[in-house]
Amino acid sequence: MSKNLSSLAKRAGVEQTLFQQLVLNENSKSPQQREKLAKKFLVGESVVSGTASFYDFIDGENADKKAYVCNGSSCLCAGTQDKVKAELIKQFGEEHIGHATCLGRCAQNKAFQIQGNNFSAQDIDNLAQIAKEPTTKSNEHYHVACTLDEAILTAEINDVAKYYQLFSQVTAKNSVDELLTKVSDSGLRGRGGAGFPTGFKWRSCLEAKGDDKYVVCNADEGDAGAYSDRYLLEERPHAVLFGMLMAGYLSGAQTGILYIRDEYPVAIENTEKAINEFVALNIDFLENWQFTFKIIRGAGAYICGEETALLRSIEGQRPVVSVRPPFPTQSGLFGCPTIVNNVETFASTHFILDTTHGGTEKCGAKKYLALGNGKSTGSKLISLDSAFNKPGIYEVSMGTPLTEVINLAGGFAKNIKALHIGGPLGGIVPMSALDKLTIDFESFSENGFLLGHASVIGIPNEFSMIDYMAHLFEFTAAESCGKCYPCQIGSTRGQEMIENAISGKQTIDETLLTDLLETMQLGSLCALGGGVPLPIQNILQYFSEEISPFLTSSTTKGA
Amino acid sequence: MTSTMSNENSADQKMAFLNGVAYPIAKGESILTFSRRVQSQIDIPTLCDDSRLEPYGSCRVCSVDVALAADGPRRVMASCHTPVAEGMHVFSHSERVEKLRKNIVELVLSDLPEQQLPVSESEQLNEFEQVVLATGVTEVRFAKGKQSIDSLPRVFDNNTEETGVEDYCDHSHPYMRMDLAKCIDCNRCVRACDEIQGEQVLSVHGRGFDARIIKGQDVSFNESDCVSCGACAQTCPTGAISDVFRDKLVEVNSKDVDKVRTVCSYCGVGCNLEVSVKDNKISSIEAPKDAEVNAGHTCLKGRYAWRFYNHPDRLTTPLIRRDGELSPASWDEAFDYLANKLQSIKADHGPDAIAGISSARCTNEENYLLQKMMRAVIGTNNIDCCARVCHSPTAYGMQKSFGTGAATNSIEDLKQTEFILLIGANPTEAHPVTGAKIKQKAMKGTPLIVLDPVKTELAKYAQWHIQLRPGTNVAVLNMMAYFIISENLVDQHFVETRTEEYQDYAQSILGLDIDELAAISGVDKALVKSAAMAYAKANKAMSFHGLGVTEHSQGSRAIMCIADLVMLTGNIGSKGVGMNPLRGQNNVQGAADMGCQPHQGAGYYTVDDSKNIEYYQEHYGIKQGLVDSVTPWPTKVGYKIPEMFNAALAGDLKALWIMGEDVVQTDPNQQHVVASLSNLELLVVQEIFYSETAKMADVVLPGTSFLEKNGTFTNGERRVQRVKAAVAPKAGCKTDGDIVVEMMNALGHPQAAYAADTMLEEIADVVPFFAGITWQNLGDNGLQWPVAKGGTDTQILHQQKFTRGLGKFHFYQFEESREIVEHGEEFPFILTTSRNLEHYNAGTMTRRTANELIVSEDVLLINPKDAQNKGIKHQSQVKLFSARGEIELKAQVSNKVSAGVLFTTFHFPELMINRVTGDVTDTHTKCPEYKVVSVDICSV
Repeated sequence: MSKNLSSLAKRAGVEQTLFQQLVLNENSKSPQQREKLAKKFLVGESVVSGTASFYDFIDGENADKKAYVCNGSSCLCAGTQDKVKAELIKQFGEEHIGHATCLGRCAQNKAFQIQGNNFSAQDIDNLAQIAKEPTTKSNEHYHVACTLDEAILTAEINDVAKYYQLFSQVTAKNSVDELLTKVSDSGLRGRGGAGFPTGFKWRSCLEAKGDDKYVVCNADEGDAGAYSDRYLLEERPHAVLFGMLMAGYLSGAQTGILYIRDEYPVAIENTEKAINEFVALNIDFLENWQFTFKIIRGAGAYICGEETALLRSIEGQRPVVSVRPPFPTQSGLFGCPTIVNNVETFASTHFILDTTHGGTEKCGAKKYLALGNGKSTGSKLISLDSAFNKPGIYEVSMGTPLTEVINLAGGFAKNIKALHIGGPLGGIVPMSALDKLTIDFESFSENGFLLGHASVIGIPNEFSMIDYMAHLFEFTAAESCGKCYPCQIGSTRGQEMIENAISGKQTIDETLLTDLLETMQLGSLCALGGGVPLPIQNILQYFSEEISPFLTSSTTKGA
Repeated sequence: MTSTMSNENSADQKMAFLNGVAYPIAKGESILTFSRRVQSQIDIPTLCDDSRLEPYGSCRVCSVDVALAADGPRRVMASCHTPVAEGMHVFSHSERVEKLRKNIVELVLSDLPEQQLPVSESEQLNEFEQVVLATGVTEVRFAKGKQSIDSLPRVFDNNTEETGVEDYCDHSHPYMRMDLAKCIDCNRCVRACDEIQGEQVLSVHGRGFDARIIKGQDVSFNESDCVSCGACAQTCPTGAISDVFRDKLVEVNSKDVDKVRTVCSYCGVGCNLEVSVKDNKISSIEAPKDAEVNAGHTCLKGRYAWRFYNHPDRLTTPLIRRDGELSPASWDEAFDYLANKLQSIKADHGPDAIAGISSARCTNEENYLLQKMMRAVIGTNNIDCCARVCHSPTAYGMQKSFGTGAATNSIEDLKQTEFILLIGANPTEAHPVTGAKIKQKAMKGTPLIVLDPVKTELAKYAQWHIQLRPGTNVAVLNMMAYFIISENLVDQHFVETRTEEYQDYAQSILGLDIDELAAISGVDKALVKSAAMAYAKANKAMSFHGLGVTEHSQGSRAIMCIADLVMLTGNIGSKGVGMNPLRGQNNVQGAADMGCQPHQGAGYYTVDDSKNIEYYQEHYGIKQGLVDSVTPWPTKVGYKIPEMFNAALAGDLKALWIMGEDVVQTDPNQQHVVASLSNLELLVVQEIFYSETAKMADVVLPGTSFLEKNGTFTNGERRVQRVKAAVAPKAGCKTDGDIVVEMMNALGHPQAAYAADTMLEEIADVVPFFAGITWQNLGDNGLQWPVAKGGTDTQILHQQKFTRGLGKFHFYQFEESREIVEHGEEFPFILTTSRNLEHYNAGTMTRRTANELIVSEDVLLINPKDAQNKGIKHQSQVKLFSARGEIELKAQVSNKVSAGVLFTTFHFPELMINRVTGDVTDTHTKCPEYKVVSVDICSV
């Protein structure tokens, strides 16, 4: 990261950022226009050019296509995309087809995008009509269910004004310290996957010195198979906004930024609507404290889900991962103290601070704490893909057995040999391990897997595990920011090793693969390069019979 | 594991362990810095780290094992960006991390098909190869796969003749080279360009494996905005980014190359340079990383513009004018001729018919010698130097206000300061390394006021750019003072305890008509008010100024106005504050320190005080009869440079000795200068090239450049640094010090042969603030005067009290320049002149280098409105004329200047910009008003 660029971006402000100019402004493509942008934002022309070239949808190979076919893991496992792509090519011609890595239509697959509108399931059969009228409504459907007595994340918000009254109530009644204590007492941990204690994060931002502070909602839900954040932003945006508002109040931040991925157009639209509703409420804030929201639209880069890359993206820098420390709560957006949390984390806040539950006075934080195993508390949304009979979003209490969730979804719709849980960097769970797992951070990690963002993709029996390994490396290579060598070069070399083995060119040198996985795991700067070895090791361990024909044990095998 | 304490462990000293040994840790340091500090023999390899840059953490080669207890579980962490913490156990060479390093380097090598493996020990290994060797990688086990080199764009090469083949190397630029086939994506170049120079010319295109370095919007070096500072080339560990000199350096066996550390002569920043020399020829110049002044950075002049030193145009023999023609002569002939001539002029017209102009390009020792020759041998105080035409008002004004005419603080104070006031200076062009430091601060948000008629690079980053009409500094500075006083933002305690004459000053300021001043200077009153208030409220504010303040009829007064602001706000006497002139020439501070001024001798004693005369006579060995007094000692103040010209024209001055100064080209009102010099009986010029002034001389003595001599330069922050000869003087030439010494001896005054160390001894005896300086104790980074006996130097002046006791407030009304009053109506535009980055003054040196290919002419900037009114097109020829003369040059339409103001540089002698400049000078010091010239313009 460049401190200069962070500081210059702060000077330009969040309303008109360089990044959004590049994303939203049609007139930002020519060298002359970019030279003007560079002058306006007081940065070098290389900065504008370098930033634009990073993103799939600005200067990348995927920019300005007529149609995009989803190539996410779920659609891949479902095996639906060859046909979808063929149809799109027929309609638009091959050169006009790009790809998007997971449109979040994992419940139905066959996902594609045309002019910023997403489609799935049977929509492809209606392609001629959609091509004519891209605003044609998609026939999307997925299940939403909750096993709790009182829904937390899936609860409907009927009266928006009343919903926000809680803010005035609690801030009038409680001190900042008391409210932060409640958040901590609830045991709420970050839902993005890392599980960092939320109350602690908010408090450290409060205690950090700085005139300007920010709250950033990480809505760059790039994990293939995950669409729970999309669900929340499309269906429960006020829950998210309320959480950000509270985080702002409790830390002293006055600006909330939602970084929403470009692949989620409806989430952006509905959140925008919700922000307008919030503004219309004209909530009477305290003296010297106001809160405003701003949406930043992504442009197709998985790495932007990594919090430091996301912050750099907002700043108009190339979204490469920054070193930590300093952590964002010390030096985040524009070098100012910043809270970055996942959509679901913010959405949990209202329940925790609410004191009226089921019509009676009850402390929400205590209620929240009572759910789960004590370490992982509250509820969790699970995204189930089309491998299940009733795919959809399931809200369950932390600690719920995985098999119970599977049953709830009506079991599997096809023959499955493993589940890929927690996104591309999550573990590959063989059927034999399903019984051991409960929905919480601890159970997954103890068993050598990762709860992550709790997306679940079924890998069908007929899907070759060596192909899935290639897919994982390919994804990492495509999405690596390119900063650290283990990920930048390692993911490509890994992909080549597997592909050479598949094509019969050269079997995999087991020692070399082990060395590579260890190098990536120990050496990578962030969880992308550091995380992908986990599912690959799972495959090597649980599907060794399937993989062994591709391996050669070298004589110089290390310890 | 057992631990031993290597240091005394006091109770509150926090400790961490490196490979089992406890060491004290320093606040905020990384594991890497800690490890290198405490166990220098332990080498943690890295590829992306450059200690001058922010920790980046991309190569991961510096990873170490870290545990919280000796036997506790270990984690692998990158040492460059992980802070060391109390009780931490660091294992720098565990089996696991050594394997990790090896595997990472192997990955890097898997994308470098051109790298020879295995790497064998040799002196020419680049930094990357040294890491390959240290980590023990001898082969790449991966099958040949994707290679970055395959997707590199095939060259921007418009110069394939040079290489013969199409390759990946960008040869477009006179100096810079880029060959991405060697690149390892460590991004050090990108970060150096941003974090050191602040240009952001370099960035990265694409992402992941395909990421590659670009310039601008993926253009060639030559098409990009690159300022050729070379920071990227210096930090590159593989040579992927390089320059024409460094490229060649790789080819020669480094055993035969000597490295000589010296000081750049291109401006008052005083960058240290490391000159690579082979067979008495320079092969490359770099900036030493441990230099306090420039920490491995410098600009294209210091780094690349040195090929003038053995240019065929160099003068190599003395010349004597005989029958109207300058013809070669031997050195003996020249000295004999001069001795006779000077003696006879002195006999006929008295010593005051002889004058000397010294050179700020020369060493302290040489300047000292020339003034000593004029005073002790010729017997006149007619000695001046180019400070006259640049910072003489600074010296004068700051002496009046504070008691010392030099920077109060150090450039290093920029690290601490929280506010910058920049007046009449364009340091990113004229003082590039200091300019880059200020730009870094400004980009990172340190509030900046720029007071300048031109929208300079730094003005773009300033919160307040007060774009005043040239010549109205005093008006605007008084406005600032008015708002500071009227808004009750005066540092009362400071004013009461440290200053005098505040009441009268404040009363006068409060009596000013602010609206009138705003109208005169053409500035927005509200802008000035907000700037003044912000400056006054800042915790620590530093001010910098340049020739945009001094080269005015009210130059000295504007200096005192700045001093007033500094005292009003208490911004003096501590770290991160102060008033800091950006000295133009490398040794202009030193030339004045050494006494090359007509009113003050070496060490600033006034020349007309009998006690001082006694002091000098005693120290020059005259009173004691150690040397024969060949002359009566001069007792009255001598001529300033403009007075020398007037006296020559009037016939009072008969002989002028000029050491390394091209007055014909650089002094204002050229016709007047030429007429004056023509009227002399004897003009002696010490020069390295046949300059416009040398062409008029009666005797020309071939001197040497800084690369051929020993001595010291004093930079703008009073830092006396060692200059060391990288090569021997060019055949036929003598160092300027030797020339003066031999002349003194020829005139009958015994002066020991020139040697830097013994000369310094003599100076230390005369100049009190040099008392503690010896050649030895100057070391690599010099000392900042005053230096007490024993060698203790001074970073900050006026800490407890001012040199003059109390700081003194001065009030001056704004006065319109006579130039505007007399010529403003007939010539309604104001021309203001300045330097550019690529060239230095008259271009004598820089124009004999490839800098000439980068900028090859002086151009005139004109505001779009004026251009339209005058029917002048962008890049068209225009005629510029004043009451004195006219020139033709190319106009560029630019928003950098306001309507009514024109701007140009003065580096190209053929243009003779000083044909139009005038003869108005500063009231107090006679510094010419280069910055305000009434002109008009028309298209040709």
